Amino acid sequence: MATEQESQGAIRDSSRSGPYVTAVRWMENLSETAFAYFLLAPALLLLLVIAIYPLVTTFGMSLFADAISGSASLGEFVGIQNYVELLTNQKSYALPAPFLPTSLTVGGIVSSALGVTLIFTIVSVFFETIIGFAQALVLDQDFRGRRWIRVAIIIPWAVPIVIQGMIFFLLFQPGIGFLVGTSQNPSLLNQLGIIGTTPLVNTIDSLLIITVADVWKTTAFMALLILAGMQSIDRSLYDVARVSGASPWQQFKLITFPLILPTIMVAMLFRTIAAMRVYGIIETTTGCQTVPSLSCLVVSSFSSRTYGTAATVAFVTAAIIGVVVSIYIVKFADAEGGF
Amino acid sequence: MATDTGQSNQQNTGIGEDRPLKRGPLSKWVSSSIQNPERAYRAMFYVATVFFLFTTLFPFYWLLVLALTPQNLLTNVGLVPNGFNPMSFVTVFERVPFHIYMFNSLVLGIMTTVIVLLLASLAGYVFGRLRFPGKAPMMLAILAISYFPPAAFLIPLFELFTGNVAVPLLGTSLVFGEQLYLNSPDLFNTPWAMVLPFSALFMPLSIFILTTFYGQIPDGLEDAARIEGTTRLGALFRVIIPLSAPGVATAGVLTFISVYNEFFFSFLMNNGEAQNWAPLVGGIIGLQGQFDTPYHLMAAASIIGVLPVAILVIVAQEKIVSGLTAGALKE
Repeated sequence: MATEQESQGAIRDSSRSGPYVTAVRWMENLSETAFAYFLLAPALLLLLVIAIYPLVTTFGMSLFADAISGSASLGEFVGIQNYVELLTNQKSYALPAPFLPTSLTVGGIVSSALGVTLIFTIVSVFFETIIGFAQALVLDQDFRGRRWIRVAIIIPWAVPIVIQGMIFFLLFQPGIGFLVGTSQNPSLLNQLGIIGTTPLVNTIDSLLIITVADVWKTTAFMALLILAGMQSIDRSLYDVARVSGASPWQQFKLITFPLILPTIMVAMLFRTIAAMRVYGIIETTTGCQTVPSLSCLVVSSFSSRTYGTAATVAFVTAAIIGVVVSIYIVKFADAEGGF
Repeated sequence: MATDTGQSNQQNTGIGEDRPLKRGPLSKWVSSSIQNPERAYRAMFYVATVFFLFTTLFPFYWLLVLALTPQNLLTNVGLVPNGFNPMSFVTVFERVPFHIYMFNSLVLGIMTTVIVLLLASLAGYVFGRLRFPGKAPMMLAILAISYFPPAAFLIPLFELFTGNVAVPLLGTSLVFGEQLYLNSPDLFNTPWAMVLPFSALFMPLSIFILTTFYGQIPDGLEDAARIEGTTRLGALFRVIIPLSAPGVATAGVLTFISVYNEFFFSFLMNNGEAQNWAPLVGGIIGLQGQFDTPYHLMAAASIIGVLPVAILVIVAQEKIVSGLTAGALKE
C-alpha cells in the first residue's frame, strides 16, 4: 500500500526522488517501442540463456570431433565431417544404431534411427487424427454426464510420461499379464500373430507398443483441439442446412469437415513435432536399444561422452523437424487458399 | 453391440407403443432406425462413447488390478486381481521416499508456473496490446524455439548447470593483468536445473494464450486506469490481469500439467535421488530394485502419481479446453 501512495505521489509531485520513484518515472517516459522491449526483456533473456545459447553451442560442438582422451570434452575442429559421416551412415562406430536404414527391408528400416522415428511419427499421427476426430464428434454432442465423459477422455493426456511408460510396460511384460503369453500357452494377441512372446525386446513389436501407447495418451490432445474447432463453427450454418433438408452426413461433409480442416492441420503439426522428438515413452517402456529414435541417439551418445556426435545428431534432428514443419506450413497455406 | 440394442429397446418401449406387430428385438430396432435415422446415429454415438471410455480407462484399471495382486501371485493375472493386497500402496512409501518425489514434482510445477505466468504476462501484454517494430518476427522466433527437440539443448545446458561453463569477465585483463573467468553456478541436483529449461520450453504456449486474452480487453478500461493515475505496469497488474483471470488460470493449469508430465529434463537433470529434487520420474524408476522388479509397487506408485493431475483435470477441464483453443488456434 505504501508503494501505491508513493507512485501516486510521484506523478503529482515530480520533484520527489528516491530509487523507486526514479524507476517509475523512467518507465513512464519510455517510448512505446522501448517499453515493449523493456517488458519483453526477462522472457527474451530466459530464452537467450536456456534456448538460443544452447542451440548455438550445440551447432558449434557439432563441428568438432569426439574427444579421444578422457579429459577434454571435444576433439579437433573437423568442419562438416560429422554431418557427412552421419548422413552417409559412417558414424555407426559412435552410435548404438545406424542413422539411415542399412537395407530397404522392414527390419533394416526399423533398426535405423531415422526410419523408426519417421514410421512412429506417421503411424501415430495418422491414428491420433482419425481417433481424435471421432472423439471430438462424441464430445461435441450434448448429453447428460458429458462433463464426466469428457474428463475420462482427457485424462490420458494428463498422465505423466513415466506413468504412461509404466502402464504399457506392465501391460506387455511377459508372464504377468494376459496380453502376452508363453510359447506353450500363447495369449490371444500371440495367436493372432500381432506380437511375439517377448514383445519388449523385439523391435517391431516394441514399435507397435510404443505407437499404441502414444496414440492412447495424445489422441485426447488431438480431440480437444478438434473439438475447439468444432465449437467455434457458427451454429446457424447447421440451422440453414437443416431447413434446406441436408442429412446429418451432408451437414458433416459440407459444413463441419471443411471448416475444421485448418484446425486439424494445426493439430497434426503440433503432434508431428512432438512425435519426432519421442524419447520418454521409449526409455520407460522398451529402452533405447530396442527402438532407437533420434532423441535416443542423442542421449546415448551424450552418455558415452561422444559430444561431437551427440551435437550433430541433435542438430540434424532439429533440421528434420524444421523441414517437416515447413512442409506443413506450405500445405496449410494451400488448404486455406482453397476455400 | 449388446449395449446399444439394449438402450434402443428401452427407448422403444417408451415411444413405439403404437406398433402392435410382433417382431424380434433386432428387426424391430432395424425398422425403427430406417424410419428414424436419428435413432441410428444415436446408437452409433453410444457405441463410440462406450468404446472410447473402455480404451481410455482400461489401462488404469489394469494398474489397479496389478497393484492389488500380492507379489507372489503376479503371474498370468487376468481381468480381476489374484487376491487382495491394498498394502502395496503403503509399501511404495516404505521402499522409496515416494512422498518426497511427489512433493518435488509439485514444487517444480509450482515454481515453473509462477515464473512462466509472470514472464508470459509481461510478454503477452506487449504482444497483445502494444504496437512496435519487430513484433511479428519476434513472435515467430518464440514459436520457432518450441519446435526444437529438447535433445538439442541438452549438452550445453548440462555443461552450464554442472558449473563447467566459464564466462570471461570483460576488462579484467586490463585491470588485474590477467583474464578472470566467472564460472556458471553448479545447479545440477537443484530445482533450478529443471525449472529453467521447463520455463523456457513451456513459456511460448502461455505467451500465446495470454496474448489472446489480454488483446481482448477494451482499450478504454486501460485508459481509464491510466487517467486515474496508475502507472503502466500498475494498469497491467491491477486491471488487465484481473480481467483476464480465466486466461491466466488456463495458462497456469496447462503449464503445471506439462511440467508434471515432462520426462526428458526431469530424468536427465538430476541423479534420481529424492533429496536432490528428483521428481516423480525418479521415484517410479527408483522402485525397480537391483534384485527384483516389484510390478505391484510400480502399478501402485503409478496410481498415486496420477492422482494430482487427475484431480486437476476434473476441476479444470473447462479451462483446459478453452486454453488449448485460445493458445493453439491463434497461430
